[in-house]
Amino acid sequence: MNVEDVFCSRLRIEILKILFNVGELNVSEIARRLRINYVSASKHLKILEDEGILQRKMFGRIRLYRVNEQSPKAKALQNLIDVWKHQNKK
Amino acid sequence: MSQSRSVFKDETKLDINYVPRNLPHREHELGLLRGFFGFALQSPGRMAQRVMITGDVGTGKTALSQRFGADITHEASTRGINLRYVHVNCREYGGSLFLILHHVVSVFHPNFPKRGYSAEELLGALMQILDEEDAHIILSLDEFESLVEREGSEAVYKLTRLQETRQNKPQRLSLVCILRNLDKIGQLDASTRSTLQSNIIGLDRYAKEQLVDILNDRVSLAFESLAVPEGTVELIAEIAFSESGNARFGIELIWRAGKYADAEGFDTVTPECVREAVSSIFPAMRRDDLATLSLQEKLFLLAIARVFKENQKASVSLTEAEQTYRVVCEEFNTPPISHTQLWKYLKDLSNLGIVETQVFGTGTRGRSTSISLPRIPAHELEKELRSFFEKRLEKS
Repeated sequence: MNVEDVFCSRLRIEILKILFNVGELNVSEIARRLRINYVSASKHLKILEDEGILQRKMFGRIRLYRVNEQSPKAKALQNLIDVWKHQNKK
Repeated sequence: MSQSRSVFKDETKLDINYVPRNLPHREHELGLLRGFFGFALQSPGRMAQRVMITGDVGTGKTALSQRFGADITHEASTRGINLRYVHVNCREYGGSLFLILHHVVSVFHPNFPKRGYSAEELLGALMQILDEEDAHIILSLDEFESLVEREGSEAVYKLTRLQETRQNKPQRLSLVCILRNLDKIGQLDASTRSTLQSNIIGLDRYAKEQLVDILNDRVSLAFESLAVPEGTVELIAEIAFSESGNARFGIELIWRAGKYADAEGFDTVTPECVREAVSSIFPAMRRDDLATLSLQEKLFLLAIARVFKENQKASVSLTEAEQTYRVVCEEFNTPPISHTQLWKYLKDLSNLGIVETQVFGTGTRGRSTSISLPRIPAHELEKELRSFFEKRLEKS
Protein backbone atom coordinates (compact mmCIF):
# COMPACT_ATOMS: atom_id res chain seq x y z
CA MET A 1 0.00 0.00 0.00
CA ASN A 2 1.28 3.43 -0.91
CA VAL A 3 1.34 6.25 1.59
CA GLU A 4 -1.43 8.05 -0.29
CA ASP A 5 -3.64 4.98 0.23
CA VAL A 6 -3.38 5.49 3.99
CA PHE A 7 -3.90 9.23 3.85
CA CYS A 8 -6.74 9.16 1.35
CA SER A 9 -9.05 7.63 3.96
CA ARG A 10 -10.35 9.97 6.62
CA LEU A 11 -11.60 6.95 8.62
CA ARG A 12 -8.19 5.30 8.70
CA ILE A 13 -6.63 8.50 10.01
CA GLU A 14 -9.40 8.75 12.61
CA ILE A 15 -8.81 5.13 13.68
CA LEU A 16 -5.11 5.82 14.10
CA LYS A 17 -5.78 8.98 16.11
CA ILE A 18 -8.10 7.03 18.44
CA LEU A 19 -5.68 4.17 18.95
CA PHE A 20 -2.67 6.47 19.43
CA ASN A 21 -4.75 8.14 22.11
CA VAL A 22 -6.30 5.20 24.02
CA GLY A 23 -3.91 2.37 23.18
CA GLU A 24 -6.22 -0.55 22.50
CA LEU A 25 -9.86 -1.11 21.53
CA ASN A 26 -12.17 -3.75 20.14
CA VAL A 27 -13.84 -3.41 16.73
CA SER A 28 -17.29 -2.55 18.07
CA GLU A 29 -15.94 0.27 20.20
CA ILE A 30 -13.93 1.74 17.33
CA ALA A 31 -17.03 1.56 15.11
CA ARG A 32 -19.12 3.22 17.83
CA ARG A 33 -16.66 6.06 18.31
CA LEU A 34 -16.49 6.72 14.58
CA ARG A 35 -20.25 6.24 14.12
CA ILE A 36 -19.68 3.71 11.37
CA ASN A 37 -20.86 0.14 11.07
CA TYR A 38 -18.93 -2.91 12.27
CA VAL A 39 -18.14 -4.21 8.78
CA SER A 40 -16.73 -0.87 7.66
CA ALA A 41 -14.56 -0.57 10.79
CA SER A 42 -13.32 -4.13 10.32
CA LYS A 43 -12.36 -3.40 6.69
CA HIS A 44 -10.25 -0.35 7.57
CA LEU A 45 -8.66 -2.09 10.55
CA LYS A 46 -7.70 -5.03 8.35
CA ILE A 47 -5.99 -2.70 5.87
CA LEU A 48 -3.96 -1.07 8.64
CA GLU A 49 -3.17 -4.47 10.15
CA ASP A 50 -1.99 -5.84 6.78
CA GLU A 51 0.29 -2.83 6.48
CA GLY A 52 1.84 -3.76 9.87
CA ILE A 53 0.71 -0.47 11.42
CA LEU A 54 -1.79 -2.16 13.75
CA GLN A 55 -1.64 -5.41 15.72
CA ARG A 56 -4.61 -7.64 16.40
CA LYS A 57 -5.09 -9.70 19.52
CA MET A 58 -7.75 -12.41 19.73
CA PHE A 59 -9.44 -13.51 22.92
CA GLY A 60 -11.99 -16.04 21.74
CA ARG A 61 -14.56 -13.97 19.85
CA ILE A 62 -13.05 -10.68 21.01
CA ARG A 63 -10.67 -8.84 18.68
CA LEU A 64 -8.58 -6.05 20.15
CA TYR A 65 -6.56 -3.69 17.96
CA ARG A 66 -3.59 -1.65 19.01
CA VAL A 67 -0.79 0.27 17.34
CA ASN A 68 2.21 -1.90 16.47
CA GLU A 69 4.91 -0.17 18.45
CA GLN A 70 7.63 -2.01 16.50
CA SER A 71 6.44 -0.63 13.15
CA PRO A 72 8.51 2.32 11.76
CA LYS A 73 5.43 3.31 9.73
CA ALA A 74 3.33 3.49 12.90
CA LYS A 75 6.01 5.56 14.64
CA ALA A 76 6.21 7.94 11.68
CA LEU A 77 2.42 8.32 11.60
CA GLN A 78 2.25 8.95 15.34
CA ASN A 79 4.94 11.60 15.01
CA LEU A 80 3.09 13.24 12.12
CA ILE A 81 -0.22 13.32 14.04
CA ASP A 82 1.49 14.66 17.19
CA VAL A 83 3.26 17.44 15.26
CA TRP A 84 0.04 18.36 13.49
CA LYS A 85 -1.89 18.51 16.77
CA HIS A 86 0.83 20.52 18.49
CA GLN A 87 1.13 23.05 15.65
CA ASN A 88 -2.64 23.55 15.52
CA LYS A 89 -2.70 24.36 19.22
CA LYS A 90 -0.29 27.29 18.76
CA MET B 1 -2.78 29.45 66.73
CA SER B 2 -2.88 30.68 63.16
CA GLN B 3 -5.52 29.45 60.71
CA SER B 4 -3.01 27.58 58.58
CA ARG B 5 -1.65 25.38 61.39
CA SER B 6 -3.04 21.92 61.73
CA VAL B 7 -2.81 19.05 64.18
CA PHE B 8 -2.30 16.82 61.14
CA LYS B 9 1.06 15.98 59.67
CA ASP B 10 -0.36 13.74 56.94
CA GLU B 11 -4.05 12.98 57.17
CA THR B 12 -3.93 10.60 54.18
CA LYS B 13 -2.52 8.06 56.65
CA LEU B 14 -6.02 7.93 58.14
CA ASP B 15 -7.73 7.36 54.80
CA ILE B 16 -9.78 4.19 54.52
CA ASN B 17 -7.68 3.10 51.52
CA TYR B 18 -4.31 3.60 53.20
CA VAL B 19 -2.51 0.34 53.90
CA PRO B 20 -0.04 0.78 56.77
CA ARG B 21 3.39 -0.79 56.60
CA ASN B 22 2.86 -2.35 60.01
CA LEU B 23 -0.29 -4.10 61.12
CA PRO B 24 -0.15 -4.19 64.92
CA HIS B 25 -1.61 -7.41 66.36
CA ARG B 26 -2.00 -9.01 62.94
CA GLU B 27 1.61 -10.15 62.56
CA HIS B 28 0.69 -13.78 63.20
CA GLU B 29 -2.05 -13.78 60.55
CA LEU B 30 0.27 -12.07 58.07
CA GLY B 31 2.76 -14.85 58.74
CA LEU B 32 0.06 -17.45 58.06
CA LEU B 33 -0.77 -15.85 54.71
CA ARG B 34 2.89 -15.80 53.75
CA GLY B 35 3.10 -19.44 54.69
CA PHE B 36 0.08 -20.40 52.58
CA PHE B 37 1.48 -18.57 49.55
CA GLY B 38 5.13 -19.51 49.99
CA PHE B 39 4.91 -21.60 46.81
CA ALA B 40 4.18 -18.45 44.75
CA LEU B 41 7.78 -17.37 45.34
CA GLN B 42 9.42 -20.80 45.47
CA SER B 43 7.75 -22.60 42.60
CA PRO B 44 5.12 -20.43 40.89
CA GLY B 45 2.75 -22.32 38.61
CA ARG B 46 3.14 -25.60 40.49
CA MET B 47 0.02 -25.01 42.52
CA ALA B 48 -2.77 -22.51 43.26
CA GLN B 49 -4.02 -21.58 46.67
CA ARG B 50 -7.37 -20.66 48.21
CA VAL B 51 -7.53 -18.90 51.56
CA MET B 52 -10.46 -17.42 53.41
CA ILE B 53 -10.11 -14.51 55.81
CA THR B 54 -13.03 -14.05 58.17
CA GLY B 55 -13.77 -11.43 60.82
CA ASP B 56 -16.17 -8.70 61.85
CA VAL B 57 -16.17 -5.16 60.48
CA GLY B 58 -13.00 -3.30 61.41
CA THR B 59 -10.95 -6.35 62.39
CA GLY B 60 -8.37 -5.66 59.68
CA LYS B 61 -9.34 -8.21 56.99
CA THR B 62 -8.88 -5.88 54.04
CA ALA B 63 -5.72 -4.27 55.41
CA LEU B 64 -4.24 -7.71 56.13
CA SER B 65 -4.89 -8.93 52.59
CA GLN B 66 -3.64 -5.73 50.96
CA ARG B 67 -0.49 -5.59 53.09
CA PHE B 68 0.21 -9.20 52.22
CA GLY B 69 -0.45 -8.47 48.52
CA ALA B 70 1.92 -5.50 48.47
CA ASP B 71 4.66 -7.44 50.28
CA ILE B 72 4.47 -10.60 48.19
CA THR B 73 4.36 -8.80 44.83
CA HIS B 74 7.37 -6.72 45.87
CA GLU B 75 9.25 -9.86 46.85
CA ALA B 76 8.19 -11.56 43.60
CA SER B 77 9.43 -8.69 41.46
CA THR B 78 12.87 -8.83 43.11
CA ARG B 79 12.97 -12.51 42.13
CA GLY B 80 11.85 -11.80 38.56
CA ILE B 81 8.43 -13.46 39.04
CA ASN B 82 5.47 -11.82 37.33
CA LEU B 83 3.03 -12.00 40.25
CA ARG B 84 0.09 -9.61 40.50
CA TYR B 85 -2.16 -9.01 43.48
CA VAL B 86 -5.61 -7.78 42.47
CA HIS B 87 -8.02 -6.66 45.17
CA VAL B 88 -11.69 -6.49 44.20
CA ASN B 89 -14.59 -5.51 46.42
CA CYS B 90 -17.34 -7.83 45.15
CA ARG B 91 -20.09 -5.59 46.52
CA GLU B 92 -18.86 -2.68 44.38
CA TYR B 93 -19.55 -4.87 41.35
CA GLY B 94 -22.94 -6.02 42.62
CA GLY B 95 -21.52 -9.51 43.22
CA SER B 96 -21.39 -10.11 39.45
CA LEU B 97 -18.71 -12.62 38.40
CA PHE B 98 -18.59 -11.03 34.96
CA LEU B 99 -17.89 -7.53 36.31
CA ILE B 100 -15.36 -8.82 38.83
CA LEU B 101 -13.48 -10.71 36.13
CA HIS B 102 -13.72 -7.71 33.83
CA HIS B 103 -12.01 -5.63 36.50
CA VAL B 104 -9.20 -8.20 36.69
CA VAL B 105 -8.75 -8.36 32.91
CA SER B 106 -8.74 -4.55 32.81
CA VAL B 107 -5.56 -4.59 34.89
CA PHE B 108 -3.86 -6.02 31.79
CA HIS B 109 -6.07 -4.55 29.06
CA PRO B 110 -7.69 -1.32 30.34
CA ASN B 111 -10.07 -1.00 27.38
CA PHE B 112 -11.27 -4.58 27.32
CA PRO B 113 -14.87 -4.50 26.02
CA LYS B 114 -17.69 -4.81 28.53
CA ARG B 115 -20.34 -6.34 26.32
CA GLY B 116 -20.97 -9.17 23.95
CA TYR B 117 -19.56 -12.20 25.72
CA SER B 118 -19.98 -14.34 28.84
CA ALA B 119 -18.18 -14.64 32.18
CA GLU B 120 -16.77 -17.99 31.00
CA GLU B 121 -15.25 -16.33 27.93
CA LEU B 122 -13.82 -13.62 30.16
CA LEU B 123 -12.26 -16.22 32.44
CA GLY B 124 -10.80 -17.87 29.34
CA ALA B 125 -9.42 -14.50 28.19
CA LEU B 126 -7.87 -13.94 31.62
CA MET B 127 -6.10 -17.29 31.56
CA GLN B 128 -4.89 -16.63 28.01
CA ILE B 129 -3.43 -13.30 29.13
CA LEU B 130 -1.75 -14.91 32.14
CA ASP B 131 -0.30 -17.68 29.98
CA GLU B 132 0.99 -15.24 27.36
CA GLU B 133 2.56 -12.95 29.94
CA ASP B 134 3.72 -15.83 32.14
CA ALA B 135 1.94 -14.06 34.96
CA HIS B 136 0.33 -15.28 38.18
CA ILE B 137 -2.49 -13.65 40.08
CA ILE B 138 -3.56 -13.60 43.68
CA LEU B 139 -7.15 -12.44 43.37
CA SER B 140 -8.52 -11.07 46.62
CA LEU B 141 -12.31 -11.12 46.65
CA ASP B 142 -13.38 -8.74 49.39
CA GLU B 143 -16.99 -8.94 50.61
CA PHE B 144 -17.09 -12.38 49.07
CA GLU B 145 -20.62 -12.86 50.45
CA SER B 146 -21.85 -10.57 47.72
CA LEU B 147 -20.56 -12.89 44.98
CA VAL B 148 -22.00 -15.98 46.69
CA GLU B 149 -25.35 -14.23 47.13
CA ARG B 150 -25.60 -13.13 43.51
CA GLU B 151 -24.00 -16.01 41.62
CA GLY B 152 -24.23 -18.99 43.99
CA SER B 153 -22.12 -22.13 43.80
CA GLU B 154 -21.53 -22.16 40.06
CA ALA B 155 -19.43 -19.00 39.92
CA VAL B 156 -17.33 -19.97 42.91
CA TYR B 157 -16.90 -23.45 41.45
CA LYS B 158 -15.67 -21.96 38.15
CA LEU B 159 -13.02 -19.98 39.97
CA THR B 160 -11.87 -22.74 42.28
CA ARG B 161 -11.91 -25.65 39.81
CA LEU B 162 -10.49 -23.72 36.90
CA GLN B 163 -7.37 -25.81 36.69
CA GLU B 164 -9.32 -28.98 35.92
CA THR B 165 -9.97 -27.61 32.44
CA ARG B 166 -6.30 -26.68 32.03
CA GLN B 167 -4.56 -30.03 32.29
CA ASN B 168 -0.73 -29.86 32.26
CA LYS B 169 -0.71 -26.06 32.22
CA PRO B 170 0.78 -23.91 34.99
CA GLN B 171 -1.59 -22.91 37.77
CA ARG B 172 -1.92 -19.17 37.68
CA LEU B 173 -4.94 -18.05 39.68
CA SER B 174 -5.01 -18.12 43.48
CA LEU B 175 -7.81 -16.75 45.62
CA VAL B 176 -8.14 -14.90 48.89
CA CYS B 177 -11.80 -14.74 49.89
CA ILE B 178 -12.63 -12.11 52.51
CA LEU B 179 -15.91 -12.34 54.38
CA ARG B 180 -17.51 -11.58 57.74
CA ASN B 181 -18.19 -15.21 58.70
CA LEU B 182 -18.72 -18.59 57.14
CA ASP B 183 -22.54 -18.46 57.16
CA LYS B 184 -22.76 -17.65 53.43
CA ILE B 185 -20.35 -20.46 52.58
CA GLY B 186 -22.96 -22.82 54.02
CA GLN B 187 -25.21 -21.91 51.08
CA LEU B 188 -22.74 -23.34 48.57
CA ASP B 189 -22.98 -26.92 47.42
CA ALA B 190 -20.77 -29.48 49.13
CA SER B 191 -18.19 -29.84 46.36
CA THR B 192 -17.66 -26.08 46.04
CA ARG B 193 -17.47 -25.74 49.81
CA SER B 194 -14.79 -28.38 50.00
CA THR B 195 -12.57 -26.43 47.59
CA LEU B 196 -12.71 -23.36 49.79
CA GLN B 197 -12.63 -24.37 53.38
CA SER B 198 -9.17 -25.79 53.88
CA ASN B 199 -7.32 -22.59 54.83
CA ILE B 200 -9.24 -20.21 57.04
CA ILE B 201 -7.73 -17.27 58.89
CA GLY B 202 -10.18 -15.98 61.48
CA LEU B 203 -9.61 -12.49 62.84
CA ASP B 204 -10.87 -11.87 66.37
CA ARG B 205 -12.24 -8.53 67.45
CA TYR B 206 -9.54 -6.23 68.76
CA ALA B 207 -9.22 -5.80 72.52
CA LYS B 208 -9.13 -2.26 73.87
CA GLU B 209 -5.36 -2.40 74.46
CA GLN B 210 -4.82 -3.58 70.89
CA LEU B 211 -6.93 -0.70 69.60
CA VAL B 212 -4.75 1.69 71.61
CA ASP B 213 -1.66 0.28 69.84
CA ILE B 214 -3.28 0.54 66.41
CA LEU B 215 -4.43 4.10 67.04
CA ASN B 216 -1.03 5.14 68.41
CA ASP B 217 0.59 3.70 65.30
CA ARG B 218 -1.65 5.79 63.04
CA VAL B 219 -1.35 8.86 65.26
CA SER B 220 2.43 8.80 64.89
CA LEU B 221 2.03 8.72 61.09
CA ALA B 222 -0.81 11.18 60.70
CA PHE B 223 -0.54 13.76 63.48
CA GLU B 224 2.05 16.26 64.60
CA SER B 225 4.06 15.21 67.61
CA LEU B 226 2.15 15.64 70.91
CA ALA B 227 -1.03 16.68 69.05
CA VAL B 228 -2.99 13.70 70.35
CA PRO B 229 -2.78 13.21 74.13
CA GLU B 230 -2.77 9.72 75.59
CA GLY B 231 -6.21 10.25 77.15
CA THR B 232 -7.73 11.02 73.73
CA VAL B 233 -6.36 7.80 72.25
CA GLU B 234 -7.66 5.87 75.27
CA LEU B 235 -11.11 7.41 74.86
CA ILE B 236 -11.27 6.59 71.15
CA ALA B 237 -10.08 3.04 71.83
CA GLU B 238 -12.81 2.71 74.43
CA ILE B 239 -15.47 3.85 71.96
CA ALA B 240 -14.12 1.68 69.13
CA PHE B 241 -14.04 -1.26 71.52
CA SER B 242 -17.69 -0.68 72.41
CA GLU B 243 -18.38 -0.66 68.65
CA SER B 244 -17.36 -4.36 68.40
CA GLY B 245 -13.62 -3.68 68.46
CA ASN B 246 -13.88 -1.80 65.18
CA ALA B 247 -10.45 -0.32 64.40
CA ARG B 248 -11.68 1.33 61.21
CA PHE B 249 -14.29 3.21 63.20
CA GLY B 250 -11.62 4.31 65.69
CA ILE B 251 -9.39 5.60 62.87
CA GLU B 252 -12.27 7.50 61.31
CA LEU B 253 -13.11 8.95 64.70
CA ILE B 254 -9.59 10.18 65.35
CA TRP B 255 -9.57 11.84 61.92
CA ARG B 256 -12.87 13.58 62.62
CA ALA B 257 -11.69 14.64 66.06
CA GLY B 258 -8.59 16.10 64.43
CA LYS B 259 -10.80 18.05 62.03
CA TYR B 260 -12.75 19.49 64.98
CA ALA B 261 -9.46 20.44 66.67
CA ASP B 262 -8.34 22.25 63.50
CA ALA B 263 -11.70 24.00 63.16
CA GLU B 264 -11.44 25.25 66.74
CA GLY B 265 -7.79 26.24 66.29
CA PHE B 266 -6.58 23.87 69.02
CA ASP B 267 -3.00 22.61 69.23
CA THR B 268 -4.17 19.24 70.50
CA VAL B 269 -7.04 16.86 69.84
CA THR B 270 -8.95 17.02 73.10
CA PRO B 271 -11.48 14.48 74.42
CA GLU B 272 -14.14 17.12 73.74
CA CYS B 273 -13.15 17.05 70.06
CA VAL B 274 -13.72 13.28 70.18
CA ARG B 275 -17.16 13.76 71.69
CA GLU B 276 -17.98 16.28 68.94
CA ALA B 277 -16.79 13.74 66.38
CA VAL B 278 -18.85 10.95 67.92
CA SER B 279 -21.99 13.05 67.99
CA SER B 280 -21.50 13.75 64.29
CA ILE B 281 -21.38 10.02 63.59
CA PHE B 282 -23.88 8.69 66.09
CA PRO B 283 -27.51 9.77 66.02
CA ALA B 284 -27.92 13.08 67.81
CA MET B 285 -28.48 13.05 71.52
CA ARG B 286 -32.10 12.22 72.25
CA ARG B 287 -33.88 14.84 74.24
CA ASP B 288 -36.45 12.20 75.16
CA ASP B 289 -33.82 10.28 77.10
CA LEU B 290 -32.95 13.35 79.11
CA ALA B 291 -36.59 14.22 79.73
CA THR B 292 -37.19 10.87 81.42
CA LEU B 293 -34.45 11.47 84.01
CA SER B 294 -35.37 12.46 87.56
CA LEU B 295 -34.42 15.88 88.91
CA GLN B 296 -31.47 14.46 90.86
CA GLU B 297 -30.24 12.48 87.85
CA LYS B 298 -30.36 15.64 85.77
CA LEU B 299 -28.44 17.58 88.42
CA PHE B 300 -25.83 14.85 88.60
CA LEU B 301 -25.52 14.70 84.82
CA LEU B 302 -25.15 18.46 84.69
CA ALA B 303 -22.32 18.15 87.21
CA ILE B 304 -20.64 15.48 85.08
CA ALA B 305 -20.97 17.66 81.96
CA ARG B 306 -19.38 20.59 83.78
CA VAL B 307 -16.43 18.57 85.07
CA PHE B 308 -15.69 17.40 81.51
CA LYS B 309 -16.21 20.85 80.05
CA GLU B 310 -13.78 22.43 82.48
CA ASN B 311 -10.88 19.98 82.50
CA GLN B 312 -10.63 18.40 79.01
CA LYS B 313 -9.99 14.96 80.50
CA ALA B 314 -11.03 11.72 78.81
CA SER B 315 -12.45 10.39 82.08
CA VAL B 316 -13.16 11.71 85.56
CA SER B 317 -13.56 10.00 88.91
CA LEU B 318 -16.89 9.64 90.66
CA THR B 319 -15.41 11.68 93.53
CA GLU B 320 -14.70 14.64 91.21
CA ALA B 321 -18.20 14.42 89.74
CA GLU B 322 -19.73 14.20 93.21
CA GLN B 323 -17.90 17.34 94.37
CA THR B 324 -19.22 19.30 91.40
CA TYR B 325 -22.66 17.77 91.95
CA ARG B 326 -22.77 19.30 95.45
CA VAL B 327 -21.95 22.73 93.99
CA VAL B 328 -24.71 22.28 91.38
CA CYS B 329 -27.20 21.32 94.15
CA GLU B 330 -26.32 24.55 95.96
CA GLU B 331 -26.81 26.52 92.74
CA PHE B 332 -30.28 25.07 92.24
CA ASN B 333 -31.12 25.11 95.92
CA THR B 334 -31.69 21.36 96.15
CA PRO B 335 -30.43 19.10 98.94
CA PRO B 336 -27.86 16.57 97.62
CA ILE B 337 -28.53 12.84 97.81
CA SER B 338 -26.23 10.21 99.36
CA HIS B 339 -23.15 8.74 97.67
CA THR B 340 -24.81 5.31 97.42
CA GLN B 341 -27.88 6.74 95.69
CA LEU B 342 -25.67 8.75 93.37
CA TRP B 343 -23.79 5.58 92.43
CA LYS B 344 -27.10 3.92 91.54
CA TYR B 345 -28.01 6.89 89.33
CA LEU B 346 -24.65 6.60 87.66
CA LYS B 347 -25.48 3.00 86.76
CA ASP B 348 -28.81 4.15 85.29
CA LEU B 349 -27.08 6.81 83.19
CA SER B 350 -24.63 4.17 82.01
CA ASN B 351 -27.47 1.80 81.09
CA LEU B 352 -29.01 4.55 79.00
CA GLY B 353 -25.69 4.89 77.17
CA ILE B 354 -25.26 8.52 78.18
CA VAL B 355 -22.09 7.86 80.18
CA GLU B 356 -19.73 4.90 80.48
CA THR B 357 -18.22 3.71 83.74
CA GLN B 358 -15.31 1.57 84.77
CA VAL B 359 -14.53 0.33 88.28
CA PHE B 360 -10.89 0.06 89.34
CA GLY B 361 -9.56 -1.92 92.29
CA THR B 362 -11.01 -5.01 93.95
CA GLY B 363 -12.66 -5.87 97.23
CA THR B 364 -15.03 -3.74 99.21
CA ARG B 365 -12.55 -0.98 100.03
CA GLY B 366 -10.30 1.07 97.79
CA ARG B 367 -12.49 0.79 94.70
CA SER B 368 -12.84 3.83 92.48
CA THR B 369 -15.25 4.50 89.65
CA SER B 370 -14.17 6.31 86.53
CA ILE B 371 -16.75 8.04 84.32
CA SER B 372 -16.38 8.84 80.65
CA LEU B 373 -18.67 10.74 78.34
CA PRO B 374 -17.88 9.25 74.95
CA ARG B 375 -20.85 10.13 72.81
CA ILE B 376 -22.09 13.58 73.74
CA PRO B 377 -20.03 16.78 73.71
CA ALA B 378 -19.97 18.08 77.30
CA HIS B 379 -20.91 21.62 76.28
CA GLU B 380 -23.97 20.39 74.37
CA LEU B 381 -25.10 18.26 77.27
CA GLU B 382 -24.66 21.15 79.68
CA LYS B 383 -26.58 23.47 77.35
CA GLU B 384 -29.43 21.00 77.08
CA LEU B 385 -29.70 20.45 80.83
CA ARG B 386 -29.32 24.15 81.63
CA SER B 387 -32.19 24.99 79.32
CA PHE B 388 -34.30 22.41 81.15
CA PHE B 389 -33.54 24.01 84.53
CA GLU B 390 -34.15 27.52 83.18
CA LYS B 391 -37.58 26.46 81.89
CA ARG B 392 -38.32 24.91 85.27
CA LEU B 393 -37.40 28.15 87.07
CA GLU B 394 -39.60 30.16 84.69
CA LYS B 395 -42.57 27.95 85.53
CA SER B 396 -42.09 28.19 89.32
